[in-house]
Formats: sequence, C-alpha cells, structure tokens
Amino acid sequence: MTTDTANARGNARTRPNPGLLVIGRLVVPALAVVTLLFGGGLVLGLVQSLGYLPATGMQMFTLRHFAGVLSDPDFFYSLGLTFYIAATSTATAALISVAMALVLTSLARRQRVVHFIFQIPLTVPHLVIAVALVFMMAPTGLLSRAALKLGMINSSASFPLLINDSWAIGTLTAYVWKEVPFITLMILSVLRRTGMELLEVGKTLKASRRQRFFHITLPTIFPSLAAACLIVFAYTFGAFEVPFLLGQTYPMTLPVWAYKSYSDVDLMARPEGIAIGLIIAAVIIAAVVAAQLLTKAARHRGLVL
Amino acid sequence: MGDLKLQNITIDYDHTPVVHDFSLTVENGQMASLLGPSGAGKTTVLKAVAGLLQPRSGEIFIDGRLANGLPPEKRNAVMVFQKNLLFPFMNVEQNIGFGLRMQGRSNAEVHRRIEKILELTELTGLNRRKVHELSGGQQQRVSLARALVLQPAILLLDEPLSSLDATLRQQMRELIQDIQAQTRITTLFVTHDQAEALMMSQRVCLLLNGRIRQVGNPQELFYRPADPEVARFFGGCNFFEGQLKNGVYYSPFATVAAPELADNGQRLNATIRPEDILISVKGTQGLPGRVQKASFEGGTTRIWVQCQNRVFVVLAPRTDLCAGQNVRLHLPKDKIRIFPPGN
Repeated sequence: MTTDTANARGNARTRPNPGLLVIGRLVVPALAVVTLLFGGGLVLGLVQSLGYLPATGMQMFTLRHFAGVLSDPDFFYSLGLTFYIAATSTATAALISVAMALVLTSLARRQRVVHFIFQIPLTVPHLVIAVALVFMMAPTGLLSRAALKLGMINSSASFPLLINDSWAIGTLTAYVWKEVPFITLMILSVLRRTGMELLEVGKTLKASRRQRFFHITLPTIFPSLAAACLIVFAYTFGAFEVPFLLGQTYPMTLPVWAYKSYSDVDLMARPEGIAIGLIIAAVIIAAVVAAQLLTKAARHRGLVL
Repeated sequence: MGDLKLQNITIDYDHTPVVHDFSLTVENGQMASLLGPSGAGKTTVLKAVAGLLQPRSGEIFIDGRLANGLPPEKRNAVMVFQKNLLFPFMNVEQNIGFGLRMQGRSNAEVHRRIEKILELTELTGLNRRKVHELSGGQQQRVSLARALVLQPAILLLDEPLSSLDATLRQQMRELIQDIQAQTRITTLFVTHDQAEALMMSQRVCLLLNGRIRQVGNPQELFYRPADPEVARFFGGCNFFEGQLKNGVYYSPFATVAAPELADNGQRLNATIRPEDILISVKGTQGLPGRVQKASFEGGTTRIWVQCQNRVFVVLAPRTDLCAGQNVRLHLPKDKIRIFPPGN
C-alpha cells in the first residue's frame, strides 16, 4: 500500500461525512418536536401508570397497577375479545380488499370513477360510520324495519342482534367497511404498477388462473398487503370509539376498558387505564415484530413472499 | 418446434383497428423479424399470437393448430417482453423454472432443464442470485432462458434488446442467433431497428401503420424495396423520376434497361442507395455535381451532392471532400431500383 493510499484511508476513517452532519442538523428541529410531544407524553403516561400521580397523593413508583390489570380475571377475556376483533376485521378486510383490487384492475377504463367512490369511506371518521351502523343495524334500525315491511320478521324484537352483540358483528362491520378501501388502494397501486404485466408473463409461461393468483399476484402484493394489514391491526387493536359504541358492555375490549378507567371520576383508576394503554402498545409492537420475524423466516425457508 | 401462420388478422384497440389484414407465415425452425417504427402494431401482432389479445378477424395457426380462442397458457408459444419482467420475489433459478413448475414437472426434470438452459444462456453459477443483483444483460438473458426452458413451438421476442447498451445489444444478438441455430425454435422477433432485423432473421416483415408493406428475405427488402416508403424506412434517400420507353427507363441521371416493366410512356420513380453511388473528384465520366456538405460518421462519410436540380446523398469511405468541391457521381445501373407503376 502506498503512503498516499494509507493517508487517504486514515483521513476517511477519522473525518465524519459532511453530508450526514448537514442532514443531522436539518433533522434536529423536527426530531425535537416529535421527541417532546410523543416521547414526553409516553414518559408522562409511563410515570402515571407506575403510580406517580401527586394530585391524588400517590408518589411512590410501583408496578401494582400493571399487576392489578394482568391479574384481573377479566383481562384475558378482554384481551381475547380485542384480539378477535382486530384479527377478524383485518383478515376479512384483507380478503375483500384483494378481491376488490383484482376486480378494479380489470375495470381499467372505469377505474377513475370507481377509485373516487372507493376513496369516500376513507374520509369518513370511524365514529360517523359507527353511528351510521347503529341507525342501520340496531333492532329498531333501517334493516330491521325493512325486514319487518317485507314480512321476513314478525316484530323488531325478532331481528337478530347485530349491535352490542357477543360476536361483535357491528364492530367488525364498521372496521371492515372503513378499512377495505384503505387496504384495496394500497395493493391496487402495486397491482397496476407491475402486477398486470407480470400476470401477462405468467399467462405466456403456462400458469393457470389459480396459479397466477397464488404464484404471482399474492407475492407481488404481499409487502403492501402485509404493511396495510399491520396498520389496520394496530389501529383496530388500539381504537376505542367503535367498540365503545357498537360493542357489548361485558367483556369490554382493552381500549374501552382503558378509556373508561382513564375517564373515571375516580382519579385513582387513571394509572390502571394508562397501564392498559401501555399493555395495548406492547401487544401491538410484539405483533409487528412477530410478523416481521415470521416473514423473514418464511423467506429464509424459500417461501416466495 | 413448429410453424406459425397468420391469416388476414385484424386487431382492434377500443374499436379502432390497429392491425389490418395481416398475413404472415414463419416456417418451422425459421427466425423471422417483424419490423416497423413505434406504434406500427408489432407488439399487438405478437400479443395476438401469444393469446394476450384476441383479433377481431382472421386466423392464427400454431404448429398447424388453430389457436384462435385458446387462452395463452394453452398455446404452444412463449413471449419474451421488451422489459425483462422477471419476478422480483424469485431468484434466477425460480424465475427460469417457473413455467416448468406451473406445468407440474418433477423436481428432477426442472433442475436438469434449468441447468441446461443456464449453460446455453451463459448464466451458469447465477442460480441463487436475486434478480435485482443482475446486470441488464443478465436480466434479459434470464428472461430469455425462462421462455426457452419451456421448449415452445414458437418463441416470440418483443424488442428484448431495446433497453440494452450498444455493446450488450450486439452480444445478445449473437447469443440469440446462436441459441436459435442450436435449438431451431421457430422465432418471431419484433424490432424497430432495421439493422437488427436484417442481421438476425432469415425473413423480414415490414409493418407500417398496421399494414404489411413488404415481406421477404433481408436482401430483398434492403435492395429491392416494394415502394419508396419501404426504401425510406431502410435508409433510402435518393429518389428520382424517369420515363419508360420501349423497355428502357430514361431519367436525367441514368438510363436503365427495364424489359420487365410494361406500360410505355409511364412516369416511374426510382431510387439508389447512398452507399451504391460512386463518387470521384477526377475524370469526365459521370454526373457533374458540387459537394454541399460532408459529415464524418466513422467508417464512412455522408456527403450531400447537388446534381442538377436534385441533391444526392452518398456514403463513401473517403474523408477528404469538403463543401463547394466539384465531383462526379456514377450511378451503377444494376443498383438502381425502379418502382413498379403506382408507387
């Protein structure tokens, strides 16, 4: 090695990259705001969940609120119900979205109008959809009245319970209604970008319609579909307004329990509410990590994803 | 291997015909080029053969069987697209073996045929490589291997070299020619590059505005274009007019015996290729002219010569001519192409 080369390498090792420094300096203000607002809130929540709430006289750090929640016999019912709602609504929305995306790609010419119609539910808040479903699916709602008019039921009391029911049909319907457009649009862009051309390749390479779906379409949309599903799962697992309006009163989902505890007139219940919130966050993070690990393991084993 | 026959094919896009009354036969083991500018309808024809588009009318025979109405997966034809369109979620081996696996071939057969095709396409050792880790040329070779491994009766190549640089393009041309010579797969090759079409194929079909203008071997299209438009597409730029009298064609630039042409007294167009015109600065023989400009092009120099009321373009190896210089042009009679009446 020549002296020049050695010096050059030495300098390169010791001198920081000026580009990174500039980027770092530019990012600092935004990073500070995010850290302060989100990080600050998170730390404050963590502190309160650990029992430090001077306004109520609680000034000792303790894990008893977490322990209390975890040892509550209702906790696992609530966890199960929350998981059931999040997983079922995500899976159902994903299945419908894949079918919708395939239909939309074949409607190339009318796609703009359909696209627009499809985007409408994206702009409607979850709460509005929940209220709309109450008007539609409640025993005295539109569907019940229509069924009564058509002679399908004798009285509104015989209309099946679709709101505040034990299978969370109302909650699931609201989530599926709201999330299908989101997931569909996520995978539609991928399908339109490369998916259709790859399908033509598949056709000439003798793949049947079924084979094309499983061996080309699914692997093509998988990254977008997985990302969209994770977002939907995380949201539905942590959101309280829809199950609060459309869900049964017992057992409650974890977010409803957290909301009720947090907004309880008894300030002593607040640490419990925040503890549940943090448990929800932990479950979501664990789900995201598990999904990533599973995908990585599947790819490692040669599965085409 | 098999032959391909297209009979009076008309193809529409949005109720507008883009290919009109197209007929072409590619013999078993032959390599034919479908040549034409962008938008001429070349890819449309190829897609119709592959089954990705349905013609409004006409018949497609692949290996003697009527293919109209058959889905692409049931046709014995495989298409290689302009973009390599490799499956990004598969490695080289998985991409090449895709078609075989879809056909339900055994693992041993798939493996054996992949190894063979990797060797043929000079991709040996790249089996496990991710497609994004390959160069443009390698990606296009994988795309070709993926089609060849299925041993189709007809191989359809849709400008597979257009995205490659000049050197790679030449290498790939040679590779495709070698592979075609070895496998004898009937191949229909789409290109907009005249040189590529002439070099690669035994038969060339020129498509202009969705209609066939001329079909023949490369020499025929190059030296005996059917009409001035075909001549222009192949770089022809010297056109002049003359009159036919008693089997002789008279023009101010040449007098040529044309016993095959009838219709005495008719005015006919003729052409001569730029490289066929001889140019000299000495002597008294030939047509007098004056150099307008000269442009050095490497192997040859393009020279514009004003001769009477017409400018002739000459391609000559000499580089010493400059604007304003007096020269003599000689138009060899056997190189002059007289277009039949109506052109």
